[in-house]
Amino acid sequence: MTPEHGNGRTLRARDPVAADHLAGAPEQAATPVPSVPAGWDRSADLTKPPATIPDPAQVEVPEDLRREIEEHMAKYPDRRSAALPALAAAQRVHGWCSPEAIAQVAAVMRVTPAYLSSVVTFYDMLNSEPVGRHYVYVCTSVSCHLRNAQALADAMKAALEPGDDINVREFECLGACDMAPMCDVDGRYIGPVDPSEAPDVIAAVREGRTPLPGRGLGDDGFHLPWEQES
Amino acid sequence: MADQTRVLLDDIDEPGLHTIEVYERLGGYQALRKALTTMEPDEIVAELQASGLRGRGGAGFSMGQKASFMPKGTMDKYLCCNADESEPGTFKDRLLMQKNPHRLIEGIVIAAVAAGANRAFIYIRGEYVLQADILNAAVAEARARGYVGANILGSGHDVDLVVHRGAGAYICGEETALLDSLEGKRGNPRLKPPFPANQGLFRGPTLINNVETLSNVPIVIAKGAEWFKQRGTEKSTGTKVVSVSGNVQRPGNYEIELGIPAREIVYGLAGGPPPGRKVKCWFPGGSSAPVLLEEDLDRPYSFESMAEAGSMLGSGAIIVVDDSVPIVSLALRVARFYRHESCGKCVPCREGTNWTVKMLERIDRGEATPMDIEILDQVQQNIMGNCLCVLGDSMAMPVRSMIAKFKDEFIAHNERAREAADRLAVGAGLSSEPVDAAA
Amino acid sequence: MPKPEPKLITFEIDGREVQAPEGMMLVDAARLGDVEIPFFCYEPKLGAPVGACRMCLVEIEGMPKLQTSCSTPVKDGMVVSTTSERVKQAQNAVVEFLLVNHPLDCPVCDKGGECPLQDISYGWGAGRSRFIEPKRHFEKPVALSPLIAIDRERCILCYRCVRFSQEIAEDYQLVFLERGDHTFVGTHDGHPYVAPFSGNIVELCPVGALTSQAYRFRARPWDIEDAGSICTLCPSQCNVKYTTRDDTRVLRVLARDNQGVDDGWLCDKGRFGYQAIHAPERVTQPLVRDGGALRPVSWERALSEAARALARAGGRSAAIVGGQATNEEGFLVQHLMREVLGSPHVDSRPSGVLDPAQARALARPDLTAAVPDIEWAGAVLVLDTELVDEMPILDLRVRKGVRRNGVRLVVATSRPSSLDPNARAVVRFTPGAGEAFLAALGAALGDGRGLDELAGRAGASPEAVRAAADALRDAGPVVVVWGERLSGGERGRQAVARLLDLARTLELAGTEGAGLLEVPRGTNARGLREVGCLPNLAPGLADAAAAGKSAGEIAAAVPEEISALLLVHADPLSSHPDRGAWERALDRAGSVIAFADFLTPGLEEHATVVFPSESEAEKDGTMTHPDGRVQRVRQAIARPPEVLPNWQVLAELCERIGKPAGVVSGPAVFERIVASVPFYEGLTLAELGGKGVRWQERDGAGRVPESTLPEGGLEEPPPLEAADLRLGTAPSLWSGPVVEHSPILRFLLADQRVELSVEDGERLGVSTGDEVAVTVGGASVRGVARLRSDVPPGSVFLVEGTQSENATALTNGRPRAVKVARAAREVTPA
Repeated sequence: MTPEHGNGRTLRARDPVAADHLAGAPEQAATPVPSVPAGWDRSADLTKPPATIPDPAQVEVPEDLRREIEEHMAKYPDRRSAALPALAAAQRVHGWCSPEAIAQVAAVMRVTPAYLSSVVTFYDMLNSEPVGRHYVYVCTSVSCHLRNAQALADAMKAALEPGDDINVREFECLGACDMAPMCDVDGRYIGPVDPSEAPDVIAAVREGRTPLPGRGLGDDGFHLPWEQES
Repeated sequence: MADQTRVLLDDIDEPGLHTIEVYERLGGYQALRKALTTMEPDEIVAELQASGLRGRGGAGFSMGQKASFMPKGTMDKYLCCNADESEPGTFKDRLLMQKNPHRLIEGIVIAAVAAGANRAFIYIRGEYVLQADILNAAVAEARARGYVGANILGSGHDVDLVVHRGAGAYICGEETALLDSLEGKRGNPRLKPPFPANQGLFRGPTLINNVETLSNVPIVIAKGAEWFKQRGTEKSTGTKVVSVSGNVQRPGNYEIELGIPAREIVYGLAGGPPPGRKVKCWFPGGSSAPVLLEEDLDRPYSFESMAEAGSMLGSGAIIVVDDSVPIVSLALRVARFYRHESCGKCVPCREGTNWTVKMLERIDRGEATPMDIEILDQVQQNIMGNCLCVLGDSMAMPVRSMIAKFKDEFIAHNERAREAADRLAVGAGLSSEPVDAAA
Repeated sequence: MPKPEPKLITFEIDGREVQAPEGMMLVDAARLGDVEIPFFCYEPKLGAPVGACRMCLVEIEGMPKLQTSCSTPVKDGMVVSTTSERVKQAQNAVVEFLLVNHPLDCPVCDKGGECPLQDISYGWGAGRSRFIEPKRHFEKPVALSPLIAIDRERCILCYRCVRFSQEIAEDYQLVFLERGDHTFVGTHDGHPYVAPFSGNIVELCPVGALTSQAYRFRARPWDIEDAGSICTLCPSQCNVKYTTRDDTRVLRVLARDNQGVDDGWLCDKGRFGYQAIHAPERVTQPLVRDGGALRPVSWERALSEAARALARAGGRSAAIVGGQATNEEGFLVQHLMREVLGSPHVDSRPSGVLDPAQARALARPDLTAAVPDIEWAGAVLVLDTELVDEMPILDLRVRKGVRRNGVRLVVATSRPSSLDPNARAVVRFTPGAGEAFLAALGAALGDGRGLDELAGRAGASPEAVRAAADALRDAGPVVVVWGERLSGGERGRQAVARLLDLARTLELAGTEGAGLLEVPRGTNARGLREVGCLPNLAPGLADAAAAGKSAGEIAAAVPEEISALLLVHADPLSSHPDRGAWERALDRAGSVIAFADFLTPGLEEHATVVFPSESEAEKDGTMTHPDGRVQRVRQAIARPPEVLPNWQVLAELCERIGKPAGVVSGPAVFERIVASVPFYEGLTLAELGGKGVRWQERDGAGRVPESTLPEGGLEEPPPLEAADLRLGTAPSLWSGPVVEHSPILRFLLADQRVELSVEDGERLGVSTGDEVAVTVGGASVRGVARLRSDVPPGSVFLVEGTQSENATALTNGRPRAVKVARAAREVTPA
């Protein structure tokens, strides 16, 4: 650390004790302790065998999933191109890209599980940890940020109840800045959404209803509030 | 409301346009018929070149020239449609694919024939579920009518078309990262050269174009290069669908002729900022473009004029920021986006975006010195030009422009936050200074 | 693909004119002008550059942006600056960025003092950091495998290790996980990175992120010295560099890049097996059996007992020479037998007899492929060998040829090969039916007559044989990499005749870059053959004055015709087929005199005298690579005090028996070899130097005895006898004393496992993980069943050389029909 930066104020604020005390204070005052990215601390489990390409004889794959993956593989000159659609399919079956899901894809695609893990952890829509089966992505990127998306995200999170099978997540730009602030519920874009509507959206997902009918992109007669109805 | 030009969006509100019946009824697939039955591939390329059509994905490179780089020969060649629209502020391709998928397909098939490619892919971002479903249905319809597949319209040309869904990674919109992702890998950009036209998808020559660019192709072929060139400016021909978002009253996609004053778009079409608010700054080409100021709104909105102003037209996405927005929070929001989306492959981008976010967070908390703002600026310079792809620069350019144009605000923001933090620290008993009544 | 011929061009760098081959990457070309450009991720051995680290940016006239010199091929007239302000600023910037998340814990880092990040930070960095944010700290190091520790704080994500795993070893176990600044090197779901070549990533790592669990904290760069030699653990004979301390301990083994041999890689056995040198179990003093047990004795007593026993046996002596013997040792052993004791019985092959005419044909210089030929061949046929187990480094070479140069690979083996996924054609034949396969392949390459019948005799699919022929036909130069197993059985002579016939058909002899390359069982099998360690061949592949007995015949002749056995680096109980016969032979032999570094169970029970052997790091001598490269084994550390050089012990035995060998030093023995092997004529140790010399590329090559390839007159291969299951056996890289006695490798030690097809498993009611017994003719071997979908029905495979339940109990050089049944699990006492 160079002396000219070492003023007492920054040092004090970085002190973990101070950070603890500030935990309840408003956001701008809390100094985040640098987080360890998931996995960095993880040692290999030396009791496990190396993860080589699974022998199809040792892995049972649901027949529908196998067929879907094989269909994807057939669409490309190189079977590995099917990795994303195959993993997406496995995620639909298993809820997330679990080791079991990856083993099944690896056995059908004849690639190593590590190849697939590497892909899974690169893409935001593939989950390498168990999450709710439904998703609510709240766009908090630049344009939505300018239209108070953070409040919507917070409201969505606050609306969750224990036991909800819903993955509420702040997401980077979803390509719907005209609908800001908006969210993506299981692939259906809805917006603009007022934070006060968040409990209704979450309840709808919980109950299997369509959230905010008519307000989804692609819904019949969908239009933004400032557009003339066509 | 100011008038829009309607070329790409001409029939956009026609009910059922996404079905092949309606599209054909409105004259769809006639350009394909013309191209395949009356033109040689070289003539198609020449027509595209003559039209001056520039890529609508961000780089603005001549589409016809790009197609002309494709080598001749019988090797496997590919066409990729870049539908990974992910740049904050950009949502025009979403509209084009959802409302008029067949025009895109028609453009793809014409371009593929021109480039000698017999396999085409639409790489669509994974979040666009509705649009992917619409495209898949449209491709099936086109295949059933013989516009996609083997021996199209009896011309002897084969073009297979597959819709490939991404899975959530902004970087896959970078053309070489898109190729890696389409090959089933992590979406890391590749070193160039080799350029995709020489060695792209599956190591074969590959032409990569944006949705809007390819959607323009049937128009150029149907109406001719001359007709097309009459729109726009000399160097920015044709029309452009501009996505306007942020602090405006009517966010949305607006089709314009390139070269009209930006003010006409921001105020005339999009209604300008909410009442009582002024434009503080605006991004003329998505969040990676250096910000411009209110007075720049009088410049013509074109590739060349935005470059002159020190920014870029990029994907044609205007984000308007009004005077209620603290510049530090904007810079931080932009930097966090690029840090999250950095693929991690090259050092300046991976570490530079991360470092920039940490510094901006410190400024936001009031823990910085004026020298830190200098360092922040130098870090942006150290990123620029030193990265493997443009993502690092995409953060450095807007952040630098904000520092350059709002330096005093950065300093003042830090000071205010520091004072607020001090008051809190005193309140928490961490300081012997007297408790401020306001805390 | 033919090797390209580079043309020289001239370019300017930092004001000086430099000549370089056209197309060479700028970073390498700069070095030709003594300009050093820093880099981390560039490593041409790993394939195409990735341009990730951005350290090597330079300014090139006419290009607006700085360019990565690792990916810019040099062109004539190029003007380059590596010292301009712009370049310096970029270099400073990259170093500063690299250190943003680096812990700077050099004082406690193993890499300190030999660390490129350290060197480059000093050489090209600004010498200060403006980064004052908190760095990330967490648990470190953590295990990546039992061999390798990973410190993710130090990692700069340079891509080297993951590229190695993905593009060189192609095991694809080591990957990047997550993205952006959260990216880290890891494996799937916490599985360890365990693969035959994993250790190379430690050497590739340009920082202290990947460290050897065996070397961590053992020494600092200033404590150690380097000593070049070759690895003697398998026929690959990779060139190595021992890291030694105080001239007494080997602390580490590194690769010593030799394009002609290893391409700069090592397998994990070669890299970590040095631990056995310092194992407490090692034999480090002479032993003599006394009162039923082996006891340490003086050299005088051991030598006199051995000399007396051999002298008494005289012509009734026999020697078995293991593949780890040097040319010098082999030469002296056959001298001791033939010239001193008057016995013709010396063999260095575990099984079968090599016909002298065939041995000479196989040695023809125009018929022997060199290792690099694999990389540039039109097609490579891998025949009856699993390279990753038997000559591991060639596995990487084959992969490289396929990946980089589009070599057409044909794999023809009984057991599924790890190279199958890379092959254009794969043929599975019944274990032991290599001869029939070659006959079928010959038919397919010819007019196709009899193909179906011959393929049937090989138990192979005619379509697969036809596909193999199609891949080999008109491919350009063909390299046939064939396993010694092919020639080892009862019908070895007929199989070799077929192999030579294939060589004739494919015109290997007349084609540049084509040829045969044998994968022998022993490290120095070729050298031992050439210095006369075969029963029917004298030094130089001349006919022996009197033909002796082969190994199998020797075993059968004890005690009637043979009473003393000399075992040099050999324990036939673990390495030779027909274990039962060898148990009887060792039991009944009057004397069993062994040179050994470890007491294997066979020696422990049967040896009467044991001379402690030098370890590979303690010996001087030469070995001959399977492609004819004569290489030096060089002493790196001092011998333990009670260990003498083997050549000296052998010479002493000659002397004590009454016929001095007349050699006073190791080099003197080499001179004797050169004098006795015509085609080694003129070779000197100085000429061999650090990289060895292929004798075929010297003038002496013309002096290999004449031989012709057989024309016609080939025997028909026998039809397959009916059998439910036929036994195939194969060695494992992870068996043998080195693995047993290197603590760090012990977790890899091969247990007996029984590989079966899924169909056979179901038929027999056997599942993966079941304990099963494989039985033939009263002998039985137990192991854990493993059902594999790629094993063809009708074959079952066992591992050779395991510590217990060795497959050699069931083999006898003939096809064997076996029975497999679930075994009752042995009750282990609580």
